[in-house]
Amino acid sequence: MIQRTILHADMNAFFAAVEQQNNPALRGQPVAVIGSAARTVITTCSYEARAFGVRTGMAVWQARQACPRLQLVVGDNRKYTWTSRQIVELMRQFTPLVEVFSIDEAFLDVTGSLALFGSAERIAYLLKAQIRHHFGLTCSVGIAPNKLLAKLASEMHKPDGLTVIPPDKIAAVLEGTPIKDLCGIGAKTARRLNLYGIETCGQLGRFPLEILRQRFGIVGEHLSRMGRGIDDTPVVPSAGAPEVKSVGHSTTLPRDISARPEMLKILLQLAEMVGRRARRHGVMGRTVTLSVRLADFDTWLDRQATLAAPIDQSQEIYRQAVAILDSLTLEQPVRLLGVRLSNLSHGSRQLPLFGDAPRKTQLVQAMDAVNNRHGDFTVTYASLIDVPKKGSHVISPAWRPDGIRQVDVG
Amino acid sequence: MLQRIGEAVRVGVIHGPGPSIHPVWFDWQRKQIRIAEVTYHWRNRVGEALLLHYTVTDGTALYELVYHPLRLLWVLEHLDADTP
Repeated sequence: MIQRTILHADMNAFFAAVEQQNNPALRGQPVAVIGSAARTVITTCSYEARAFGVRTGMAVWQARQACPRLQLVVGDNRKYTWTSRQIVELMRQFTPLVEVFSIDEAFLDVTGSLALFGSAERIAYLLKAQIRHHFGLTCSVGIAPNKLLAKLASEMHKPDGLTVIPPDKIAAVLEGTPIKDLCGIGAKTARRLNLYGIETCGQLGRFPLEILRQRFGIVGEHLSRMGRGIDDTPVVPSAGAPEVKSVGHSTTLPRDISARPEMLKILLQLAEMVGRRARRHGVMGRTVTLSVRLADFDTWLDRQATLAAPIDQSQEIYRQAVAILDSLTLEQPVRLLGVRLSNLSHGSRQLPLFGDAPRKTQLVQAMDAVNNRHGDFTVTYASLIDVPKKGSHVISPAWRPDGIRQVDVG
Repeated sequence: MLQRIGEAVRVGVIHGPGPSIHPVWFDWQRKQIRIAEVTYHWRNRVGEALLLHYTVTDGTALYELVYHPLRLLWVLEHLDADTP
């Protein structure tokens, strides 16, 4: 089997670094990017802010307490998604095998490009130089024989690092590496492993496989392989990615709400976003899921309805979501609402023939045509006219630069 | 603090080489503002329209200029006068 060479590139404090480039007065300053919503938290922050203990997810008041000089910038998602797309294009100069992992991270399989560019280190330096030249941004790059180790390597030196884990050094590197540093081992799994005296990857790799299987089921074997630095998963570019299983949108509300009419407005907006994206990419779904998060933060309600035939029209999605909402007893105000369409069929559309269905379809097609030309929500439902900021305003972890996961965020 | 302006403005621009656009000055409030640096640029699609955003500074304030190619229009979108 050919030894693979994988790069993992991780943009350093991406949103904050873009803002520092955008506004020279912010360069070298502690900067935190926040959302535009009333009850926002720190989305990300510059390394200067991190030095004061400011962290992603902190409440703004906590961050200000940690760093009184902190400069807050309301994030501009369009800037970040465009920059991310351009960086992915730069990566594709070196290999077509680029897998976007999130808006600021990607894997590159450069195994087939080594003869062309000389070495993986040279590719990494060229990529870093180009990103710095075009955008003034830095990234940390990890080079290793697989994705698991490349990601681990990129985390080792930040910001602006380049770390190589060669095949003959894997065991030595993993021996003392804490298990929580491996991508895929979260805090909960790490705590469970700690109960067996497993603190490092070396210990995990040597731990009896049978016991891991007994305690963790099918995941046990995977954990053992992770401990030994084994990962065969390929780098999958967007064109080869498996078809999505669902299309969904959710929104954290500016304030907790209890009134049904307010919830309906949100649901209609979410249903339109889901329907638009489904129709644009030729998918229909039979299952509609409504997600509700209540004010106490802890209560999540996920309820679904499965229909006889697949749908893609926003109004039908909305009707199902409302029916689910009406079946729930909400004992607290609502903090978050989400609508998802799943059980998808791709590219199979049955033309409506009976009743008023053909006219409804034509109406939706006419609305879509106008919105495709002039932008989302240019033509929309009358009940949404007085909603000031329609559409998506948060970059989801599932965001990708192209395909059905590409969402225009405002 | 970012202030929304949203006014059409006259802009002096160098086109090229190639498809690049480089704003050099713009008129606003009866003054010609010389652009010292284009600090960042990005693009944003609204429907079929591709909008070209440029953040620029004259050394005293930060401005966001937006070019609408379909309408051949420049707009001063935002001003951040607190920026030194």
